[in-house]
Amino acid sequence: MPGANPFQDPLRFERRVPECIAVIFGATGDLTRRKLMPALYRLAYDRRLSPGFAVVGSSRTRLSDEQFRERMRGSVKKYLDDSPFDEDVWEGFASGLFYVAGDVNDSDSFHRLAGRLKEIEQMRRTGGNVLFYLATQPSQYAATAFGIGEAGLAKGPGWRRLVVEKPFGHDLESSRKLSDDLHEVFPEHEVYRIDHYLGKETVQNILAFRFGNGIFEPLWNRRYVEHVQITAAESIGVEGRGAYYQEAGALRDMIQNHLLQVMATVAMEPSASFDPTAVRDERAKLLRSIRIMKPGEVRCDAVRGQYGPARIGGADLPGFRQEEGVDPDSPTETYAAVTFFVENWRWAGVPFYVRTGKRLPKRVTEISIQFHAAPHTVFNGGALPNLLVLRIQPEEGISLKFLSKQPGAGMMLRPVSMDFNYGTSFGERSPSAYETLLLDAIIGDATLYNRQDMVEASWATVEPIMRTWASEAPGFPNYPAGTWGPKAADEMLSRRGHAWRTP
Amino acid sequence: MSATIHPEAILRDLSELWVSLGKQHDGEHTSGVLRACAMTLIVIVDASEDPNIVGETLAALMREHPSRAIVVRLKPSAERILESRVFAQCWMPFATRRQICCEQIEITASHASLADVPPVILALAVPDLPVILWCRALSSFPLPAISPFHPILSKMIVDGTELGSPVEALEQLKSRPTSPAVADLTWTRITRWRQLIAQIFENPEYLSRLREVSEVRISHAGSEIPLSAYYLAGWILESLSGFAIPKVRFEPVETNVHGRLAGVELRGEGPDALRVTLERGDGNTARVRVDGLENCALFPRHTDYELLREELSIAQSDAVYERMLPNAMELALGKAK
Repeated sequence: MPGANPFQDPLRFERRVPECIAVIFGATGDLTRRKLMPALYRLAYDRRLSPGFAVVGSSRTRLSDEQFRERMRGSVKKYLDDSPFDEDVWEGFASGLFYVAGDVNDSDSFHRLAGRLKEIEQMRRTGGNVLFYLATQPSQYAATAFGIGEAGLAKGPGWRRLVVEKPFGHDLESSRKLSDDLHEVFPEHEVYRIDHYLGKETVQNILAFRFGNGIFEPLWNRRYVEHVQITAAESIGVEGRGAYYQEAGALRDMIQNHLLQVMATVAMEPSASFDPTAVRDERAKLLRSIRIMKPGEVRCDAVRGQYGPARIGGADLPGFRQEEGVDPDSPTETYAAVTFFVENWRWAGVPFYVRTGKRLPKRVTEISIQFHAAPHTVFNGGALPNLLVLRIQPEEGISLKFLSKQPGAGMMLRPVSMDFNYGTSFGERSPSAYETLLLDAIIGDATLYNRQDMVEASWATVEPIMRTWASEAPGFPNYPAGTWGPKAADEMLSRRGHAWRTP
Repeated sequence: MSATIHPEAILRDLSELWVSLGKQHDGEHTSGVLRACAMTLIVIVDASEDPNIVGETLAALMREHPSRAIVVRLKPSAERILESRVFAQCWMPFATRRQICCEQIEITASHASLADVPPVILALAVPDLPVILWCRALSSFPLPAISPFHPILSKMIVDGTELGSPVEALEQLKSRPTSPAVADLTWTRITRWRQLIAQIFENPEYLSRLREVSEVRISHAGSEIPLSAYYLAGWILESLSGFAIPKVRFEPVETNVHGRLAGVELRGEGPDALRVTLERGDGNTARVRVDGLENCALFPRHTDYELLREELSIAQSDAVYERMLPNAMELALGKAK
């Protein structure tokens, strides 16, 4: 066995990236074209990938290696948001792109893939390391994993990992079934459930902010925090994904996965180390600590909505039920707001208000932590609570709002904001979430990936809401496009003396 | 010409600058200014140097490394000259109304007044934050002249290539005090060469064959072996210290590429032995060849901004650099004999 690489310099070289082949199932699909391939190219551009790195695309469409390279070249050029396209780097990267046509339900396809992998492994000296990426329809996850297993591809001379995109099931039972199916081929530690929210720089920065600084953590509890709001708003509608979205809805599409993960990151206990298992253990513990609602509580603490048509800026916008591919009587929610409580010593009694919706006034994702107001005020005008806002998108950053004396005679106070803007304070281009997560999977760092117990705890948290909503007919539509959601969501907060912050 | 400046007066000017920036109106709104500072960055330049060159580098750097920048411009004059002015570098992030500003102090000093500069700078350094000195005028302000600053410096940045011949540079760098930490931009320029070599040997197959390496060939432009070539060779030897020591050969090559390092090859004996080659191409790329497998990496011309950005991200002393220096020295002396 070789020893450690004597050329490594941890002070300057960021990550140690092993050789590997990434096999992408669903290689001609949207996710591959828009996200995965531009992210992989950008990693190559930044010299982050090893010289022998290779990608094998697979899907039903018949393509030669050359045709696949040509297609991917077009996609990378088109979807490479904020990076230049360099012909020489592309040529080098493209020489490691290969394609195997196949159907995930046809075992011969996997045997053909196995033969090709062997060939490429020898040619590119990838040491048998293979990352399988399921960028297919969720209904094909299990069949693909079984195909990989039957062809003997789940084991080999190097490591084998499986990356799965959400949704991880559509409820607790189906998520368990999916995990069971995947575990027939891959053990849990080789399954990487991707949640691109966790790959965002600011979400990672929450950990740095909380656990890298000594001054915030003592305030991070029920004694000082009055409530927390997590908002993920989108200004667009379903944009051609009507058929998919109709089956999912805002609760499943956003809250069950992304926003509960964000909430867990905000509220988790410090881990003993930054080891993936330690961090994920703490996230999982927090998710298990969220109070499971009783049906009666759902009516008070969960609100759903669906946007109706509206005229904004001179343009007529359709309601959800008028969108292409959507049932004109669809009961699917495009807006969900939920009050969660965490049952532990740190957070007992502190409401976590989580909301998400489509066709809201603007695209913004942020977490605001509202602290208790000063217990006694000696100034006119009362005491305004301090507010800490962690902005995830579009402008990543952190703001702290506090009161300051207005200049001049007298003692008039006014709120001022102290801002840390991630993009402008560290002007270096932030890697996209997919760049971060793909590199993590290649390196074997699962810190930002979901684990089975985390996924199941999230489903357990939202299932009572799903069941109650399924049993009652909604009065949809109940908010016009371009507004901040249904009135009931405001009432949900006002009952506790709170109000949504306008981002 | 003035020959005295007072730190208190400069600080007062800075304070007034912030007030005036804060009063600037944007239409009907007063949006305010955000002051950003993560360090004091002292830059020593020759007065003959185009101020725009350093100005542009500092402007680019302040987004990632906001600082109080103190630019000392040296005038070759026997007359006592000491002057200062303050200004701010501001930018407005996209979609916001608020400006983010960093302050800059410019001190012009003649050689006759040089001794008066360090006490002024001591008073101007921002408390509780690192103080980093970047000397761009090593010919008129050599390493010993920096010593009065040592007590407040966390790090100093120089370019070894500017310190004379490789042997002269290495002698100065080796004999300097251990504190403050030193960063050499000639070393920074070879980070990507080193990174590519390290990346190749992340592959266990190549790593297991590392002992096959019996020769290191470094090709360079020009007839003189550049300091960077000694650094690269010194680092490879240091990294391979647990193995049989390979022979090192420096080869001048005719090339049109920018930069003085043209390529590096690690090779064993015999046709089947491991062979790793990195070769700079004509454009912005380098070719990487390992046992017949070829790839391409982006190798654009370095700017001062990129080099500084890397060095300002590293607070501590660079142990790998320090360990490499004796090897580089030995190689340079061997060649100089």
